[in-house]
Amino acid sequence: MFLHNLFYDLKTSLRTKDLIIWLMVFPLALGAFFKFAFDSIYEETTKFSTVDVAVVDEAGDKAFRAVADGMAASDEPLLNVTYADREEALELLKKEEVKGIIFTGDELTLSVGYSDIEQAVLKSFVEEYNLRIRMIERAAAQDPAAAMKAAALISEKVSAVNEEPLTDGNPDYMVQYFYNLLAMVAMFGIMNGLHITEINQANISALGARKSCSPSPKLVSICSALTAAYIIQTVCMVLSVTYLRFILRVDFGSSLPLIYLTSALGGTVGVSMGFLIGSISFLSQKAKESLTVAFSLLLCFFSGLMVENMKMNIEQHIPWFNRINPAAVISDSFYCLNIYSDYSRYSEKVLTMAAFTVFFALLGFVFTRRKKYASL
Amino acid sequence: MENTVVKIDNLVKRYGELIALDHFSLEIKQGEVFGLLGPNGSGKTTTINCLLSLLAFDKGTIEIFGKPMSPTAYDIKKNIGVIMQNVAVFDELTVYENIDYFCGLYITDKAERRKYVEDAIKFVGLEDFTKFYPKKLSGGLLRRLNIACGIAHKPKLIILDEPTVAVDPQSRNRILEGIQELNRNGATIIYTSHYMEEVEQICSRIAIMDKGRKIAEGTKDELKRMIKNTETIIIEVAGLSDEIRAKAAALPHVYDTEYDGQKLTVYCSGGKHNLIRVLGVLQENDISFGRVFSELPTLNDVFLEITGKALRDKEE
Repeated sequence: MFLHNLFYDLKTSLRTKDLIIWLMVFPLALGAFFKFAFDSIYEETTKFSTVDVAVVDEAGDKAFRAVADGMAASDEPLLNVTYADREEALELLKKEEVKGIIFTGDELTLSVGYSDIEQAVLKSFVEEYNLRIRMIERAAAQDPAAAMKAAALISEKVSAVNEEPLTDGNPDYMVQYFYNLLAMVAMFGIMNGLHITEINQANISALGARKSCSPSPKLVSICSALTAAYIIQTVCMVLSVTYLRFILRVDFGSSLPLIYLTSALGGTVGVSMGFLIGSISFLSQKAKESLTVAFSLLLCFFSGLMVENMKMNIEQHIPWFNRINPAAVISDSFYCLNIYSDYSRYSEKVLTMAAFTVFFALLGFVFTRRKKYASL
Repeated sequence: MENTVVKIDNLVKRYGELIALDHFSLEIKQGEVFGLLGPNGSGKTTTINCLLSLLAFDKGTIEIFGKPMSPTAYDIKKNIGVIMQNVAVFDELTVYENIDYFCGLYITDKAERRKYVEDAIKFVGLEDFTKFYPKKLSGGLLRRLNIACGIAHKPKLIILDEPTVAVDPQSRNRILEGIQELNRNGATIIYTSHYMEEVEQICSRIAIMDKGRKIAEGTKDELKRMIKNTETIIIEVAGLSDEIRAKAAALPHVYDTEYDGQKLTVYCSGGKHNLIRVLGVLQENDISFGRVFSELPTLNDVFLEITGKALRDKEE
């Protein structure tokens, strides 16, 4: 009986267009949109291109030339240097073929046409270079050996900042949006859970009434429907993660198996929650449907899907809400995986999700065990 | 001696102040086609829902196959087939899959079930539509699928709650013939409807309900004998004077007359040759008339006489 029910529950779920749209098509489309939007932002704000600069070396500064040429020859050059005389350099700046002109002398000086991020980079570079030179000069006056060491480090210090990752994850804040997206797909499991009560309760649908008249025990019907919903939701979560990771190439770090596990568990939280909402007998089906959509979006909103710092603000003012908001717990689990090197906080979140799943499902069973209804 | 299949005793169901079932009792014997007839809101569906243990009730007892009915009475439920008023099938499953699914709730053996499902498909005449989804079916075919889902497991007791609502006449006839065939094959049938013609056509015994009460019970002939009216004569006649109408009213066995300026209606109770006598009065007074109808009493007349109102609203 259980397997017969499970077989047809899976079949009906897979053929329910609304469910598939919300659980599969919508997240895939939103994921693609996020990727497209964030890549553009990333290109514009974070990954600036090599800065074109003209150098007027009237002082014949060999040390600076060595530094500038070394930086230009690196794999990801910060500067693209053009040596020119004063007139040529001004002409290049006027034509906006370079972003600024560096003049050698006692100190480097910079001339820019307007202020932008690339000009700010040049300014920062020139200031840093001048600072290091002054340090070397002071060191040379006191300790010539130390001055040699400082001189050897100068190009490295000025040219790059080395990233030292604390974990194997990807702490890029943009990834947080994809975590929230996965949390949202998990929360859409609410609709999947709601569907269980719709087809099993005689006071909600004719199908529920017909099933209630059969000799199939309600516990068996609900267990099979819940199992089917967990399976469908897990498949959707796995597909979403696979799509984001391997099609859109979102970097989830090296803990991909745990990302899958977290997603699957998050999905079960959503399903159980929907089942619980569906089992509330005093609400009409329409009210429950509206409530679930609003509820899942609201929880996602508070977990930071729509507003970047929302979760941080809630953490500062009402931290307990982040502990009981399933969407926040799910996205936090992903966050813990990527930020913390040990798994203690992650384990805590996973246990919370498991507890939510069991608690919601048990409460749903208690509410749906009613055998007769006051009205139909 | 006939076995009692369903026994409802003194059932009371209240919705707040409203009494949906008012000390309702009923006994249905094996092999009967029992009709529950009454207007919308009379308590037919409430009775069925209580019978199936879907609805809690305030007072009374229900026994099916001699055992108390309860939500967990699975041994009773496996012998009941239910066809609800609203079509209850999965839109996402084909005709075959729907019947197989519901049959599978009763019959676990796959090979046996396949035979049952094929029999049900053949019974309702959906052989050409087995791979169709419900949304592709017409209203009549959908009702037939609904019936197939309810009877595929060959139950001993079949409960049909207004199965012909919004069905075209052809499908309706097919459904009614099917119900009679199920009865001939040994099933006891409970049939609720507010269509008196259907109930008259297929039911061996009828209970008429109104406001949650059983107001009459018996075979259709027994019910008709309960009322005064035995014949209603309608004559199209214009310009009839009160004097002539009074002569018609004074005839033996005539207990009432009505005249609306176009039609004379004469109600008779017992007696023979009532029509000849009424027409004789008109001829004696040189009154020309048009079409003439003589109607035997219907269940609507029974309902009208007992409750003072028509069984169905005029627009129905």
